Amino acid sequence: MKFEKVIFAFFIVLALTLNFVFFIGDIDNPEHHDGMILGAALAVSIIATIMKLGDRSQMGAVLLATSLVADLQLLIAAGIWTWAVNISELGSAVEMMPIIVSSSGGALLANLVSVTLLIAETISIRR
Amino acid sequence: MPRNPSTDAIVFLTMRRMRTPLIVLILVYCFSTLVMMQVPGLDDAGNPYYLGFLDAAYFVAILQTTIGLGEVPYRFTDAQRLAVYLLLVPNVVAWLYSFATLLSLFLDAQFQAVLHHSRFRRKVNRIREPFYIVCGFGSTGSMTVSGLLARGLQAVVIEKEDEKVRRMALVEEYSHVPALIGPARDRNMLELAGLENDNCMGVIATTNDDHINLTIAITVKLLRPGLVVIARSETQRVCANMASFETDHVVDPYRIFSERFELALSSPTKYLVQDWLISVPGTRLREVLKPPTGHWIVCGGGRFGSRIIEQLQNADLPFTVVDVHPDRLTEVENSVLGRGTEASTLCEAGVETAAGIVAATGDDIDNLSIIMTAHQLNSRLFTIARQETQENDALFDASETQLIARRSHIVTRRILLLVTTPLLQSFLQHLIRSDSGFAKRVASKLERVLDNRSPVIWVTDLSDEIAANIRYALTKTNSVRLEDITLSSRTEMKQPLPCVCLSLERGAQRVFLPGADTELHEGDRLLFAGRDDARQQMSWTLQDTHALLTNITGKELPRGSLWRWLSER
Repeated sequence: MKFEKVIFAFFIVLALTLNFVFFIGDIDNPEHHDGMILGAALAVSIIATIMKLGDRSQMGAVLLATSLVADLQLLIAAGIWTWAVNISELGSAVEMMPIIVSSSGGALLANLVSVTLLIAETISIRR
Repeated sequence: MPRNPSTDAIVFLTMRRMRTPLIVLILVYCFSTLVMMQVPGLDDAGNPYYLGFLDAAYFVAILQTTIGLGEVPYRFTDAQRLAVYLLLVPNVVAWLYSFATLLSLFLDAQFQAVLHHSRFRRKVNRIREPFYIVCGFGSTGSMTVSGLLARGLQAVVIEKEDEKVRRMALVEEYSHVPALIGPARDRNMLELAGLENDNCMGVIATTNDDHINLTIAITVKLLRPGLVVIARSETQRVCANMASFETDHVVDPYRIFSERFELALSSPTKYLVQDWLISVPGTRLREVLKPPTGHWIVCGGGRFGSRIIEQLQNADLPFTVVDVHPDRLTEVENSVLGRGTEASTLCEAGVETAAGIVAATGDDIDNLSIIMTAHQLNSRLFTIARQETQENDALFDASETQLIARRSHIVTRRILLLVTTPLLQSFLQHLIRSDSGFAKRVASKLERVLDNRSPVIWVTDLSDEIAANIRYALTKTNSVRLEDITLSSRTEMKQPLPCVCLSLERGAQRVFLPGADTELHEGDRLLFAGRDDARQQMSWTLQDTHALLTNITGKELPRGSLWRWLSER
């Protein structure tokens, strides 16, 4: 067991789970979607991306790509949230909730692909 | 164009090194933002409030970078200040850690090398003109590059000492020449220097290590057999080795010099013509040089000396060899053990009665000393000296030696000759092979047109635009002859231009010293030697159909369509 592998898998799976925690719930009910969780999901997703940087293999390239997609989707979600609260006339993110949640749903898919790839790679290494 | 691998290398190198610092930075950043959002504050009216996500993130950002624009959006409470106080150190450290890693990466030698390679590669790919790869930027290499540039060719340099490359960057002349620091015998270096590029004409190996030159020659011949390879070599073993796998040209300075020495001994006229044609244009023509056919003394029987001895044996001249190494003297009849720098050794070798002396040791100062001592003992001696390093140019010039074998000069001149005027090289070979009558004819022709200065050499290629002009002229007259283009077209009196046509190449056929009435055909290549103004006037004549026709017909023809129509009536 290599510690590096543990950290690597930890962050990738954590990105997925946090994403899921945010996503689950009624799509237009702000009570079900916490901003803190979204922030955490974004941060972990970016860390997962950095972990994948510098890997020259084909698998590494695909992993990096899925991670970048997840980052992008979460950034859009967080961006809309921030815009709704701080810049727009709305003053809160309630009306924007469906689009924020569905965007994070996209990120969830990307993270799912990422974890699937990770599992596939792990299984392919027979010991 | 294939994607440049070294740009990738830069990106990946940066990514890998920055991984840990960036993760640390993000973790510290998130944690700090979270803390700042949880600590209660008071607004202007004294109501409790919590920092929003954006405010907290903004505050941590200016805290981290030590920009510190102040407490936003309201003045902090003591609890908030305490939190900031605790967060300050990890944040600043995390930021500096990332920054320092990035900085150290940029200063890293390995990273710098990757950057240097990628910049070099870009410069090479930007070259549109034909170029040569010059391996080794010593005195020979730098002279070769200057020569190539002066003749409108580009060069790419590979040199292993970074100091030489850095000094090269300071010289204006070389500012556009891409230079790579690295071992030239490395295949990757050669490929980086554009070996695979379409406009790469050839590789010139002029490092001062024969074995490296050999490696370069083999590498290039294996990777791109079609490229011209010119390699310098000073040992006979390596020369033979290079020739064995069809290295196009092996340049051995000592052999070139000994052959010229042989030429000077056997036929002074041939030597003279050769010397005129290969000197730097515009220098004063050398007088006839006649090495005496008496007793010779050769000091030093090494690489250079042994070749001179061979030539003396071929010419049946008596000689004595002086050398410090007894093993070099075993096969020689007349020999004296010693350095040759002392009068006693030279006297023992018979300097008082000798006709000439060759100072051929590997040490410049020893050679100068030999020449000066010998000259004092016998002032009528014919002296030849071998010079190894370029720095001693002035000393050798002042020594009044009749012939100086300058290694880097000889190599450079030969390389440039091979690269820029291969026609001249074939002419010179013909000159050496043919009888002395031919040499005398060339000499008298050249002497008539030259102003006591060595000639400019140029090749006139009857192709493209010039061929079109000749085709047009042939519609008006029966033939275009050599004398038609060697006449001055600018003056009223049709004077012959001060130049000599040395050879004419038509397909595989070569005519040396073609006569004035030789008919010219499309695709002919003509080699001329003469004054520079002749070259300019000739290109004028060839590019202007009117001037060409005037020369052919001997009368001024009407220029415009109207006058032509009038004159035909």
